[in-house]
Amino acid sequence: MMKKILLILSTILACAFAAQAKLNVVATLPDFGSLAREIGGDKIDIIVLAKATEDPHFVDARPSFVVSLRNADALIDGGAELELGWLPPLLQNARNPKIEVGKPGRIQTSQGIRLMNVPTTATRAAGDVHALGNPHFTVDPIIAKAIAQHIAQSFAALDPPNAAFYDGNYKKFEATINAKLQEWGAAMLPFKDQHVVAYHDSWPYFAHRFGINIDIFLEPKPGIPPSPSHLTEVIAQMKAQHVKAVIVEPYHDRRIAEKVANATGAKVVEFSQFPGGIPGTNTYGKLIDTLISRLAAALK
Amino acid sequence: MNKFILIGVATAALATARAQDAASTPVPSDVESLRQQVQALTETVKELQQQMKDQQAAIGKTNGTAPASSPNPEGSPVAAATSPSPAASTAAHFATEDAAVVSSTPTSSPNVNANGTAVSGNFPTTDTSVVSSAPETISSTGTGASLTQPISIGGGGKNYMNISFDGLFALAGSSARDLDHIEVGDHDPQQRGFNARNIELAFDGAVDPYFEGFANIVFKLNNDNQTEVEVEEAFLQTTSLPFNLQLKAGQFFSAFGRINPTHPHTWDFADAPIVHGRLLGPDGLRGVGAQISWIVPVPWYSQFILGVQNGRGGTGYSFRNPGDGGMFFDRRTTDRELRGLQDFVWIPRWENSVDLSPTQVVLAGVSGAFGSNETGADSRTQIYGADFLYKWKSANAEGGFPFVKWQTEFMYRRFEAGRGVNESFPVAETFHDWGLYSQVLWGFKKGWVAGIRGDYLDMEDSRFTDDFERQSRSRISANLTWYPTEFSKIRLQYNHDFLYENFFLADRDVDSVFLQFEFILGAHGAHKF
Repeated sequence: MMKKILLILSTILACAFAAQAKLNVVATLPDFGSLAREIGGDKIDIIVLAKATEDPHFVDARPSFVVSLRNADALIDGGAELELGWLPPLLQNARNPKIEVGKPGRIQTSQGIRLMNVPTTATRAAGDVHALGNPHFTVDPIIAKAIAQHIAQSFAALDPPNAAFYDGNYKKFEATINAKLQEWGAAMLPFKDQHVVAYHDSWPYFAHRFGINIDIFLEPKPGIPPSPSHLTEVIAQMKAQHVKAVIVEPYHDRRIAEKVANATGAKVVEFSQFPGGIPGTNTYGKLIDTLISRLAAALK
Repeated sequence: MNKFILIGVATAALATARAQDAASTPVPSDVESLRQQVQALTETVKELQQQMKDQQAAIGKTNGTAPASSPNPEGSPVAAATSPSPAASTAAHFATEDAAVVSSTPTSSPNVNANGTAVSGNFPTTDTSVVSSAPETISSTGTGASLTQPISIGGGGKNYMNISFDGLFALAGSSARDLDHIEVGDHDPQQRGFNARNIELAFDGAVDPYFEGFANIVFKLNNDNQTEVEVEEAFLQTTSLPFNLQLKAGQFFSAFGRINPTHPHTWDFADAPIVHGRLLGPDGLRGVGAQISWIVPVPWYSQFILGVQNGRGGTGYSFRNPGDGGMFFDRRTTDRELRGLQDFVWIPRWENSVDLSPTQVVLAGVSGAFGSNETGADSRTQIYGADFLYKWKSANAEGGFPFVKWQTEFMYRRFEAGRGVNESFPVAETFHDWGLYSQVLWGFKKGWVAGIRGDYLDMEDSRFTDDFERQSRSRISANLTWYPTEFSKIRLQYNHDFLYENFFLADRDVDSVFLQFEFILGAHGAHKF
């Protein structure tokens, strides 16, 4: 009897410790969250702050986020000023030394990534330009691998007993992406150097990877809403370059994209930088699968 | 720098060689020895170049991994120096490209299909032009690594603090000639015509690994266009205290309610709510002091804050405030020095917040402010507040729009008005004053917000005090704001004020219209919730 009780007690205790042993991970954005899930599996508890469908530049600094950050063992953020408008006050209030910049618990995914379109002069006359370069980099699968590796190494450092597990998951992810890259590359090859229109300049890394040009934008300048005169110009450009697709994200005004598409015979393609931003894309691989197949279908 | 020396050496050597070549009649042995010399020199140059490359590679490995530095090469002088230099054209071995310094930017050398013949099955799975190295060699000095590292000014270079400038102006029209008596806040429009009541310099940054520092210096133009300066806030705040504690010390806004701790340019209306201006004061409640806060370890957001401040002067309006010309509520004030802990203002607050759904948040808080006032030797003031905020934001929000925000604050003040200095006033009274405001903001389209606000203030009537600040009143306001970006705004607001009759003052109605405009330069302070 006594033994049984002890057994039950020790099981409960073990469970409690096991539960506690999980890494508490917070990711600012759903793309980082998705990569962390690939690496961390069931060894981590993860909370993602921004919703996949909302504008990552403007997320409310909700008080509940302070609680998540206070309890975090690790914070994954971009470190490229995309979250500049909402992360700093949260961190000030969270007072968690484990996730300070420079600590192993702070994983800034832009480290080691060469950001594109770094402005030579920082002027807001050019709109909402990010001084460190374009921060929408996870949509390049090669960069996603580097981020995943960064995450795996950080998790291993924070949780050494599971280091092999994280490393194994990274290897798996790497192999999957390497194999997928062949498919994705082949699917996009027929459309090399074609021009595609996007609402906001979130896609230079994706375009670079797959050899297309996403270089015409419905926004006259980053963050500035489309104006009728600018849209007229865009329509003229689209006709001249025979553009077949207009990319919109879940938080953009689809009606504007449709207006432009109707005037030019192009198709509106719903894109998202974030897994979960469009239906059926709960993992990173599925997201890129969907983006590639949607874009290829529109460009045909 | 080394490069230039190198080029210099090469130029000099070759120039000498050439000069000798041309001037003297070539004797075979001379030519031979010169040739040898040149060759020796070339070898030396090559060696030096190699050393240089190695060094730069080493430097690149340690520093170059900082993402921002590599794609934006500062080494362009090298590129410029190599081609036009006569030495370079002569010395064919001199490198004209240096990947360690001038990195090929991703856009200029698309790795994908670089030769245009990439076939399926051969799609590259690595790309050194975007991923500069494996993360293990990444220095932790990547993007703003240490807390004390320079941070960007407005996203530009690196510096030790963020600097910003904010200009807030208003064009006012009103049926009242005494707009400064109708508008209760010191940063509100104070006269008909143009007003510049809040021109602000803000600084913030990490002091060291233990503290962050903040300062807001406000310049305002009075109705005679003279500049007044106030140190609105200047405080440091700890970053790494244990047990979820945080300490703040300096001059700062008291954590009382929702409006009081925030700067006027972040407000949703062009003026302060009446209850805020009349009970906490025209400048709000702020002062020199210290504050400790504790995040309660519960699953929802719950925070206790306790502040203590001098509460002296106009920024401690209901407390140790000697008033205008030494008069407050018609009493000649005592204006005494601190006698003990009871003469400080003590400001406790408890706030809680939960997410009702992924798109809805509520935040509720209760606050207090307790201290003594200057209307009598032992006069005390107690202010109690309760606040509530509800916010809905679309799951597909662009630029933070659309949203609906409902905010309400209630305050009650018990003010013991004594008999003034030397018992000079005929009576002692205790005023029970209370008021509230409630406002709804609707961000209906990106950049556009419509707002409506109701105000009410009930001041206990007194037969002994004809102070206009003790008149009960209410107000209804409506406004429309356009934010072209988060760095500018234009706001049109209409107020209708009702001032109620009391023992001394007649009732009256006032209509006012404000056109407010704002611009922000420099680092944009992030939005608190």
